[in-house]
Amino acid sequence: MIGPDTLSLLLQGLAHVTAQSLVMMVVALVLLYLGIAKGYEPLLLLPIGAGCLLANLPLSPLIAEDGMLRVLYDMGIRNELFPLLIFIGIGALTDFGPLLENPRLVLLGAAGQFGIFLTLLLALALGFTRPEAASIGIIGAIDGPTSIYVSGLLAPHLLGPITVAAYSYMSLVPIILPPIMKLLTTPAERRIRMPYSQRVISRRTRILFPIVVTVLVGTLVPFATPLIGMLMLGNLMKESGAVERLTKASAQEIANTVTLFLGLAIGSTMVGSEFLKLSTLAILVLGIVAFAVDAVAGVLFAKLLNKLGGGTVNPLIGAAGISAFPMAARVVQRVAQEEDFENFLLMHAMGANAAGQVASVVAGGVLLALMGAG
Amino acid sequence: MRRYTLGLGGREFVIDVQEIDADRFEVVVGGERYEVKLAGDEDLPESTITPGLVPPPGSDGPARPAATAAATRSVPARSSATAAASSRPAAGAGPSALNAPMPGVILELYVKAGDKVERGQQIAVLDAMKMHNLIGAPRAGTIAEVCVEAGQAVGHGDAIVRFAEG
Repeated sequence: MIGPDTLSLLLQGLAHVTAQSLVMMVVALVLLYLGIAKGYEPLLLLPIGAGCLLANLPLSPLIAEDGMLRVLYDMGIRNELFPLLIFIGIGALTDFGPLLENPRLVLLGAAGQFGIFLTLLLALALGFTRPEAASIGIIGAIDGPTSIYVSGLLAPHLLGPITVAAYSYMSLVPIILPPIMKLLTTPAERRIRMPYSQRVISRRTRILFPIVVTVLVGTLVPFATPLIGMLMLGNLMKESGAVERLTKASAQEIANTVTLFLGLAIGSTMVGSEFLKLSTLAILVLGIVAFAVDAVAGVLFAKLLNKLGGGTVNPLIGAAGISAFPMAARVVQRVAQEEDFENFLLMHAMGANAAGQVASVVAGGVLLALMGAG
Repeated sequence: MRRYTLGLGGREFVIDVQEIDADRFEVVVGGERYEVKLAGDEDLPESTITPGLVPPPGSDGPARPAATAAATRSVPARSSATAAASSRPAAGAGPSALNAPMPGVILELYVKAGDKVERGQQIAVLDAMKMHNLIGAPRAGTIAEVCVEAGQAVGHGDAIVRFAEG
């Protein structure tokens, strides 16, 4: 047994350590640090960091053929299964009540997607291909599953950086949004109070809403059908109250399990040769541009609504028109309360936020349609 | 439904208020039926007319002089059973009370009856849409009564604390 090759066989791991893999391990450690020490979306950044670390170990069997991470990737990322399963859980957790109470908030959700399309143009100008540019733009939706879904179909090779950007910025919502909101509004505007009108939404309306939205959106934007269909399925289960066990499983057990699988599989795509490129940096920068422009568009549009409505709309709620449900709405409430502790915009912000959630899914579908994916 | 009897310049009015929605009311004044839409609602704790009109805490008689706009708005007009079960809304929950700005669950209360508070001082934490909202005192004064307990669900406009007069 012992021959001249023994030592090299035993040490072949060490021999295959490359500079790239070392850098990627550092990236993995940064992700783990952000998740664990900083609390930035730990549910995703920890599995992504772990997946990244495991995939970049020399000769990692986990990403070899039939390796666990490869299996997870093939099982749920390449065919879009995981983000869709997550969407059922999101639907089961989303309360569309505030939106139904104040349907005009839909407009804010639509305005909050403007940055996606602007960023798409910017990315094209920087030399990305059309499918790549569309995938980068969708980061602006600040909605992880939608970003994974769209980029998985259009530009699977960019999945790693796009996902990391989407989830990192999602966790940075409380840091990135407030300066934008304050810059664009006057203290007087931030003090505008919006009375809470407790319109009673009947159970029938709540149950019909997900069905109607699915049929409507699915017909208008067929590419959005999988996302909106699963989102609304989750919501239908929640609002019907008929299948509490399934609702609970979707919102908790399934969502948790899939989150782990999804994070690991995404992390495993972050291999040095694919990730350590200038394009990754460009994606991170463009992603934050998309996010910021979305927020700006939302706030400006809310200002316009305020002008038209004679001073009855607090422009801050426009910032909730991006997705990132329900974090964006909470940030809006916090900023409003900094200005006036008796001002409670939360319900309106939640409405705009739920609209943003639906709108970003629709925007994803529109992008897919524009790119002719299928 | 809630019935108010007001004395105004020597004349007496009987006003019945029935809540249809949170912002729509059916109001009957002297046999005339009106549909009333509530355009806005705001607590005006420092308004000059309100303190004199506020009944002493606990007085829940039908002849309460609840003629201020703010008092009218805080008439949830729910069935008395649910009202009693939750938080005694409208029982003087006029401008001299701190009302829940939105539905939710009271998580914490930082004051008790007899406490003196400053305007803006933290009174309670209201969990609404899974967000912890700090509820501050709308005015300086003494807490006459704490109307809710930690863990209790409140509806929009339900009184959280009531202030003593003066």
